[in-house]
Amino acid sequence: MSAGGGTPVHRRWRSGPYWLALQIALSGSLLLLLLLPIYALLTYAPLSRILAAAQNAYVREAIWLTLYASGLAVLVTALLAVPLGYLLARRRFPGRSIVEALVALPVAVPHLMVGLGLFFLVLPGSPLYQFTNAIGLPVYDSIWGVVLVMAVVSAPYTVLASQLSFQAVDDRVLEAARSLGAGGGTAFITVTMPIAFRGILAGLLLTWARAVSEVGGILILAYTIYPGGLYNGPVTNTISVYIYDLFQAGDLVDAAAVSSVFLLLAFVLFLGVRLAERSGWVPWRRGDLAP
Amino acid sequence: MSAWRAEQLETDLDHFHLGPVDLSLGTREAVAVLGSSGSGKTTLLRTLAGFLPMHGGRLLRDGEDISDWLPEERALGYVPQGLGLFPHRTVFGNVRYPLELRGAADADLRTNALLERFRLAPLARRRPSRLSAGERQRVALARAIAAEPEMIIWDEPWQALDVGARHELGVVLSELREQDGIPIVVVTHDPALAFSLADSFVVLDQGRMRLSGSATDLLDRPSDPFVARFVGYENVYDRPVLEAGRAHGFTAWLLDRAGPEGVALGNPVIVPTTGVPSTWEGVVRSARPTPEGLRLELTVDDLLVTTQLPRPWPDPLPALGARLRFNVAEATVHRLGTRRGGSS
Repeated sequence: MSAGGGTPVHRRWRSGPYWLALQIALSGSLLLLLLLPIYALLTYAPLSRILAAAQNAYVREAIWLTLYASGLAVLVTALLAVPLGYLLARRRFPGRSIVEALVALPVAVPHLMVGLGLFFLVLPGSPLYQFTNAIGLPVYDSIWGVVLVMAVVSAPYTVLASQLSFQAVDDRVLEAARSLGAGGGTAFITVTMPIAFRGILAGLLLTWARAVSEVGGILILAYTIYPGGLYNGPVTNTISVYIYDLFQAGDLVDAAAVSSVFLLLAFVLFLGVRLAERSGWVPWRRGDLAP
Repeated sequence: MSAWRAEQLETDLDHFHLGPVDLSLGTREAVAVLGSSGSGKTTLLRTLAGFLPMHGGRLLRDGEDISDWLPEERALGYVPQGLGLFPHRTVFGNVRYPLELRGAADADLRTNALLERFRLAPLARRRPSRLSAGERQRVALARAIAAEPEMIIWDEPWQALDVGARHELGVVLSELREQDGIPIVVVTHDPALAFSLADSFVVLDQGRMRLSGSATDLLDRPSDPFVARFVGYENVYDRPVLEAGRAHGFTAWLLDRAGPEGVALGNPVIVPTTGVPSTWEGVVRSARPTPEGLRLELTVDDLLVTTQLPRPWPDPLPALGARLRFNVAEATVHRLGTRRGGSS
């Protein structure tokens, strides 16, 4: 403390009240930035309009379609992205970095571009257009297009999360399992998956959140959902496109009311997941994977 | 239980070559693999366990060549460094795992018996992350035993243990060997425990087998500075140190007797008078009474020489900076780095 005039000041700065105040100020600013738009959104439309929106059949259909399509997108992702994550985590192969960059691409570019790319891929008359129609999964202006866009733009989260989760599984734990008599497949099911499961689930949750919030690609590929193929529900939109429509039409109060309904629903869903995690309804626990 | 034999075993991992290594152990035998870090100890164990392909030689169990067998077919209780406990399972679940794999009908019963035997019963519901180092070690051992292995291979069993737990684990391992007759191969840095557990030793150096033999072999003919220090020689001088030192006197005398890697001395004898052949003079740096004798550290030229003086030692103790003469018997001087390959 005696030598070097700057030392005491520096110490006080690091551990003293100024440091804490700065932390609170910065984190508080961000929290405000997150909270204020929500506040503005929730208070723009009168409560009566929000309740009306919640009871509106079209809004309900749009919300249902959004949840349904995003659920399917998560399933598709789980089926395809988790194996890719495993491959990237545990195998060395030429071009791995290219694959990794490719996987991250849909996150990095505007989703309108992803929609455009898919649109060109299934242009009416193209072989893929005919094929998808033939198997009852038409893409253009269809729920399957929504699922496709959602899966493409949100899969990277699951790939990345599962890659990191698989990488975190200690090789030596696997070797111990093998030596105890587990074959490669058994070790994967009894050791690798249970350990990586929680991280993968977190990735799927993020994937689902990203799928639900998608709008750019859907605007291009499936602006309006018509019944067709294996879908015979009503003509509708995803909730994001529906709100965009209302805004474009200048119906700000309804845009705010529908947004409020969906916002509250999303909040309840996420809160439910958190509570489930806390109460042990889910097959993993906090701190299980701590060293 | 089985008799094991590794003949001229060789493998390659990235740019590291291991071997050829010969190993042989029967029922109730234990081998300790010694060597500095990077010498290939873990590589050897992983090759035995079947995780690295052998590029030469063969591995025999009761005369049967099992070199190509998968890890899960070898019936080896391989305990990797860090133990490899399952973080997602409780203590009970860890120990039960190998029994589940075989679909043992009495899995619960046998798990509980093992938990009792290794004093883990009160911890059955805990996860490995909430155990002490000693408890984790016992879980790893109980789990390995549950698989009814034909041999136990353990990488650094005594790592991260305090003195009490080290001793306890040594006792448990010895018990396994005596009562269950399970052969044991351990990699270790701890000489005291290695000597208390193992009958024979394999010394690895940069992937090559430097020496194999009994504790007495190691003591009488230390192969290199690492082994010499490992078995307890305190006066070990690496060749470069001697070459950089003075070109006459004690240093030169040692250099004359040094092998390619240096020289190790047994206990130099402090002599009361001058004029005895091979007698040198050192300056006392420290004098500390111990139960074994008066421990003296002398500096000679720039080298440190340690010796024990049995009772009765001079009273008062030699003062710091005092000059003492000592004698080194030729028979206690060991050339280091002269031998290659195995012996005995």
